[in-house]
Amino acid sequence: MKTDVVIIGGGINGCSLAYQLSKKGIDVALFERKYICSGATGRCGAGIRQQWSTRENIILAKESVKIFSKLSRELKEDIGFRQGGYLVAIHDEKELKEAEERVKLQRSLGVDVKIIDKDEIKEIVPILDPDGMHAIGATFCPTDGHADPFKTTFAYARRAVENGAKIFTHREVSKIIVEKNKVKGVVADGERIDCNYVINSAGAWSRIVARMAGIDIPNRPLRKEAIVTEKMKRVFDAMVISFRDGIYFSQQSEGNILGGIPGPDEREGYLYQPTFSFLNHMARTLTRYAPVLKFVRVLRHWTGFYDVSPDARPIIGEDPNIKGFIHCHGFSGHGFMLSPMVTKIISDYISDGKDSDYLHSLSIERFKGKDISREVSVVG
Amino acid sequence: MRIEEHPILSFERGRKVHFYFNGKKLYGYENESIAAALVANGITQLSKSLKYNRPRGFFCGIGKCASCRMRVNGVPNVRICIENVREGLEVETQEPLAELPSREFDDKGIDTLECDVLVIGGGPAGLCASLEAAKSDADVIVVDENFKLGGQLLKQTHKFFGSKHEMAGKRGIDIAKELEKEIIENNRIRVFLKSSVFGYYESDHGHLFGMAQRLDDMSEKVYKVKCKSAVIASGASENFLVFPNNDLPGVYGAGGVQTLVNVYGVLPGKKVLMVGSGNVGLIVSYQLLQAGMEVKAVVEALPKIGGYFVHAAKLRRFGVPIYVSHTVKEVYGEDKVEGATIVEIDKNWREIPGTEKRIDCDVVCLAVGLSPSVRVVSLTGADIRYIPEAGGYVAIHDDCMETTKRGIFVAGDLSGIEEASIAMLEGKLAGLYSAKRAGKDVNEDKADEYRKRLEELRAGPFGERGRIAKEKIRRLWKECH
Ligand SMILES: Cc1cc2nc3c(=O)[nH]c(=O)nc-3n(C[C@H](O)[C@H](O)[C@H](O)COP(=O)(O)OP(=O)(O)OC[C@H]3O[C@@H](n4cnc5c(N)ncnc54)[C@H](O)[C@@H]3O)c2cc1C
Ligand SMILES: Cc1cc2nc3c(=O)[nH]c(=O)nc-3n(C[C@H](O)[C@H](O)[C@H](O)COP(=O)(O)OP(=O)(O)OC[C@H]3O[C@@H](n4cnc5c(N)ncnc54)[C@H](O)[C@@H]3O)c2cc1C
Ligand code: FES
Repeated sequence: MKTDVVIIGGGINGCSLAYQLSKKGIDVALFERKYICSGATGRCGAGIRQQWSTRENIILAKESVKIFSKLSRELKEDIGFRQGGYLVAIHDEKELKEAEERVKLQRSLGVDVKIIDKDEIKEIVPILDPDGMHAIGATFCPTDGHADPFKTTFAYARRAVENGAKIFTHREVSKIIVEKNKVKGVVADGERIDCNYVINSAGAWSRIVARMAGIDIPNRPLRKEAIVTEKMKRVFDAMVISFRDGIYFSQQSEGNILGGIPGPDEREGYLYQPTFSFLNHMARTLTRYAPVLKFVRVLRHWTGFYDVSPDARPIIGEDPNIKGFIHCHGFSGHGFMLSPMVTKIISDYISDGKDSDYLHSLSIERFKGKDISREVSVVG
Repeated sequence: MRIEEHPILSFERGRKVHFYFNGKKLYGYENESIAAALVANGITQLSKSLKYNRPRGFFCGIGKCASCRMRVNGVPNVRICIENVREGLEVETQEPLAELPSREFDDKGIDTLECDVLVIGGGPAGLCASLEAAKSDADVIVVDENFKLGGQLLKQTHKFFGSKHEMAGKRGIDIAKELEKEIIENNRIRVFLKSSVFGYYESDHGHLFGMAQRLDDMSEKVYKVKCKSAVIASGASENFLVFPNNDLPGVYGAGGVQTLVNVYGVLPGKKVLMVGSGNVGLIVSYQLLQAGMEVKAVVEALPKIGGYFVHAAKLRRFGVPIYVSHTVKEVYGEDKVEGATIVEIDKNWREIPGTEKRIDCDVVCLAVGLSPSVRVVSLTGADIRYIPEAGGYVAIHDDCMETTKRGIFVAGDLSGIEEASIAMLEGKLAGLYSAKRAGKDVNEDKADEYRKRLEELRAGPFGERGRIAKEKIRRLWKECH
């Protein structure tokens, strides 16, 4: 088989790339070793937030929100996009100062965000107990929100197939063929597929995929757990998060409350088994934030992986040494919300050779001996 | 309506108690489930569907379908078919998306329980596994979601076929009583009723499960259960069929109706259409006749009757027509079943126009097979495969009933749909080998005996499906190793 671009991984990023490239008339074949959404995408909170600490993330997220808000129309399917806002707890004076700085930066870049007090917290999410949260206030951005990760990814995949993309599920790429520092093809299930580009959008497995081309990337897979409760009447729209406690939770359109927090037994590695300590810690913290949830049952509890880069920022763009090898990973727990912009930048680069500042600032080369500026506004 | 006289059963209903339904005072009995007490009071619409707000009645009667959820003492989403009636209980219908709980309870903390063997499910398989493991000196905890032990045996009022070792000639309900008595008298076995095993977690050694016990005040107590090995015998849930109005109150699982009639002595209606002529369909039809209901017809999609000849003959003697090559076309009614249309089908399962018949009935029973309840076992990471002859997804296991996850055993309907005598024997095998995994000395000669009897039970023509299923499972097991 022969194609222009091979995409490895059927998550939000792989499927979005398949859609964008095929729309431009480029020949693509996507390989997913399990099923669409089986990686982090099908296990994530799918929250979409513009309240970041770096200029780069704020712009990427803001531009992504613009795309998300038109995506149902573009993909001709409802992707469940909803703007209920993000409420970010502020716990003390020091955090308040930092929040003021962030808000200033965010507002200067056109994000509608403000600092609110304890009473306003209760107005926006009536079930919250600001004292239990140890909160003195919060920041709130009403245009932050959420989309359904399954609906979004499958919509991309279906439209991509209509555009002529080939999507192979239950097929694993086991080898990448590189000759004279250039990508020549891949091997999937014993079959060789010739191509000019390989995109590594294999999420937490991206370091294994990069190794296939002889490239070492500094990413680590980190087990992350999440829960959903039984369905309840809708009582709030916002996503509630705290950088100090690491908790995030929101109520889905269907009524379930979904959330996560860093677990006490969080470890690196491909560990699928959930931990009891997470369940306990999550339940205790969640009910400290929202005491009325004490007697709501947990329905499901699962694990997924963050693909963590050293500075918690994504790694994108063509490899400096292997031509045709495209990085698209290292999302560190926020790859759903950034995917519209990131995949647009990558597909414009492949189709038209279009450059972008982000291809430099987010290049794999940034880890070579330079200072790393870390994104600090991370939860989960 | 409650049955006052029954040819073979006397109902131990216990003390009469009062409870409230949507503020109205009703009475029931302390050994009844809330669902049974409501149906006895003529209340058949229990919940509303999530999306379209359609009326729903109960379906399975054993905690598996969630169509009976109500608010009890301020706690939403209670499955009232496995919750017993108590004096003063406040039961309310809820909107599809329930309001948050309105009650406050004390923080009960989390306790840790330890045992050699944890048995999940207190049906015939689980009870036999518990006894067998305890006989090999294992400390056992057995857990069931229901408020009584026995699983599906509780409602089987007919005499069993099969080997005398598995108490053939006795009624299922009496077998359940004997097993329960033995369990209670055995001080190596601790029983947790109204308790659901909800999760499987990472642990350094042995196995760690999460369990929630429902307390009388409707709060729940959470336990961590540490064990050296576990037998999962969570049974099966009844299959559903697709036809217009299949969700109207009055369309029930045959097992659910059997529970209502045989365990609680409550009649869900007067006139029944039975769908499916396997043994379950035939036996339940006969039992409904015994209980004083009218069985209007049995329909069977295949060209011949599925169950034993003797059961079909009994029905014919009562003049019940059995229509083969027929299916339900639709059920009609406003907010409960008021009748059904059946239709003949050809070899390719296509309806033959002009063959429709209207059946005047207020209950439609679906006896169209069961699917193993694999959720708990799949959490452990055991290899699960789809095997049609086993009834659906099952955990691959060896002839000691151990899954691909070391120390995790399966038995009974969960390991492939068969019948109660087989469930008991598989339970014994799983009990024996789970004790061995827990480090106990066991007498493996007994295992050969159990395997021989299993082979005998599966030897007949009705054992064929089970035989094929187990052969496939064995083959897959070998591939896995
Ligand atoms: C619990 C949790 C909560 C999260 N919450 C949020 C959130 O609220 N907001 C947000 O923006 N992000 C969130 N994230 C992060 C987000 O889920 C990910 O960043 C994003 O889904 C990554 O998408 P992806 O397409 O890059 O990778 P994935 O979805 O992981 O897809 C990678 C795919 O590659 C496949 N694959 C791997 N190796 C091979 C191979 N050799 N051959 C073929 N296929 C292969 C895998 O099977 C997998 O399906 C969360 C993550 C987790 C785990
Ligand atoms: C309507 C009907 C009629 C039948 N008639 C006959 C017959 O005449 N002769 C015959 O031999 N066989 C008959 N069978 C089959 C027989 O009843 C089953 O094969 C047998 O009961 C299976 O036993 P089991 O122990 O595997 O499961 P079950 O009897 O189904 O018991 C499973 C138990 O596990 C509990 N459980 C499930 N999940 C959990 C959890 N997570 N935590 C705690 N507890 C849990 C359930 O509450 C249940 O009590 C009939 C079955 C049905 C449905
Ligand atoms: S769960 Fe109660 S009827 Fe099925």
